Amino acid sequence: MNLRFKRLISQIIFFFSANLGLKLGGIFPGVTTGFCYPFFYCHACPSASAACPLRSIEIGVYRSNWNWRLILYPVLIIGFVGVISGRAVCGWACPIGLFQRVTGKVAKKIKKKYPAVRKLGQLRIEPFFRYVKYIAFIGLVVATPILIGFMFTDVCPIGYLVGTIPISILNPGEFTPNEFFYIAIIVFVLFIILIFLVERGWCRYFCPIGAMLAPFNKISMYQVVVNKDECIHCNICANDACPMGIDVPNMDRDPECILCGKCIEACPKKIISFKRA
Amino acid sequence: MKKITVVKLALVVLITIGIGDMIFEYGTYDDIHNTIVSTLCLSCIKLDPVSRLDFVFETGNGEAHPEFVLQNLTKGPLFIEYRSDVCKACDDMAPIIKDIFKLKFEKEDTLYKMVNYSGTKINFYHLNLDHASQIQKDSFPIYDKDQIKGVPMFVVITVKYDRGIIKPCYTAAYGTLGLDTDEERREMIINLIEDGIKLYEQNHEGYQYP
Repeated sequence: MNLRFKRLISQIIFFFSANLGLKLGGIFPGVTTGFCYPFFYCHACPSASAACPLRSIEIGVYRSNWNWRLILYPVLIIGFVGVISGRAVCGWACPIGLFQRVTGKVAKKIKKKYPAVRKLGQLRIEPFFRYVKYIAFIGLVVATPILIGFMFTDVCPIGYLVGTIPISILNPGEFTPNEFFYIAIIVFVLFIILIFLVERGWCRYFCPIGAMLAPFNKISMYQVVVNKDECIHCNICANDACPMGIDVPNMDRDPECILCGKCIEACPKKIISFKRA
Repeated sequence: MKKITVVKLALVVLITIGIGDMIFEYGTYDDIHNTIVSTLCLSCIKLDPVSRLDFVFETGNGEAHPEFVLQNLTKGPLFIEYRSDVCKACDDMAPIIKDIFKLKFEKEDTLYKMVNYSGTKINFYHLNLDHASQIQKDSFPIYDKDQIKGVPMFVVITVKYDRGIIKPCYTAAYGTLGLDTDEERREMIINLIEDGIKLYEQNHEGYQYP
């Protein structure tokens, strides 16, 4: 079984695990837990089985109402996953990653067809855009809930995708837009445009959970390593394979690496591999 | 074994102990389950429920009305405001409720007060689900008429005639009531209260506390 197929199976299993809360009449009662997802998913989804870690943190800090348990709990869960596998959860478990797996194919085609889009990824300032997710995490998940009570989850495009849309479809005429609805639509449309233009665009630039997990790549037990002595610098791994746009031949525990293993499969010399510390 | 590996293993053990402690010692698992997973986060879905202000007899979860409601119905209709610590719509609606009932309280408070509203006595409850007693928390699904599971929820409980018997009935409104301005929201809450008072005045003589 190749890595790509293994990853697909893993993503599908985690997708169903994240949606165990779905009630199916008398067939399945639905399972909800008190855990936080270690990836990006919304508890407002009608079938959600756990809580969004961001919301828990936001509630914990909201207007300086410090509730340390709600802050620490998701941080520890993400820390646990991070120390073991770094950002592998983004590549192997996140349902939004699975969604972007589909849109990524379109993004690749667009990139090939339109040179302007390709150039976007080669801009010298592109690496700096990757810091936006850290700013989003610190600014919108921590700072604004403390200072003005505005929370990232109020306009979160994932909440819109897996919460607002299915709830509106399942309960027609039962709900009416609130004050953040129209801002959320704009954010959602930008999110859709982004992931169709840039492969894994959400994970690269904006995902606050990715921002939480990224530093763990530096110390995680699993990592992707390149045998630099044998590298022929064909750059197939970096240009054609890596969905995160990493300079794979020169990477060393890159915080952006989601351990998807695409570079491992693409390398003609087979000198890239997973390594357990 | 390398030093860094030992550090990583120690970190995993420490984090595992931390998570276990929070789950078993501090009840965080139940907190997350009850306050986040099982409650519909209205701000996460960027929607407010459409409030249908008809008074009904059937409770939201089929359970009987709680004792504190049945008892207080002998004195007057009840108005219950349910909220939680972190809730933007609750914060938006709080000044309107305080102004209508001429009351002062903090969002964390659990408050019961008999208030005089245009000459009628009303049992006013302000229940913060993060701090209320278990009996009060249990009343939330009972009055969650449209099974929204979200806060804020405003409930008016009164009495009404039903096939020969005067029984408790109630209605519930949610969120910012689907209205844009504070003035409209205030007017809707007042209409809700006045409908409850009207029903109470018409029927309360036939109500018997079981």
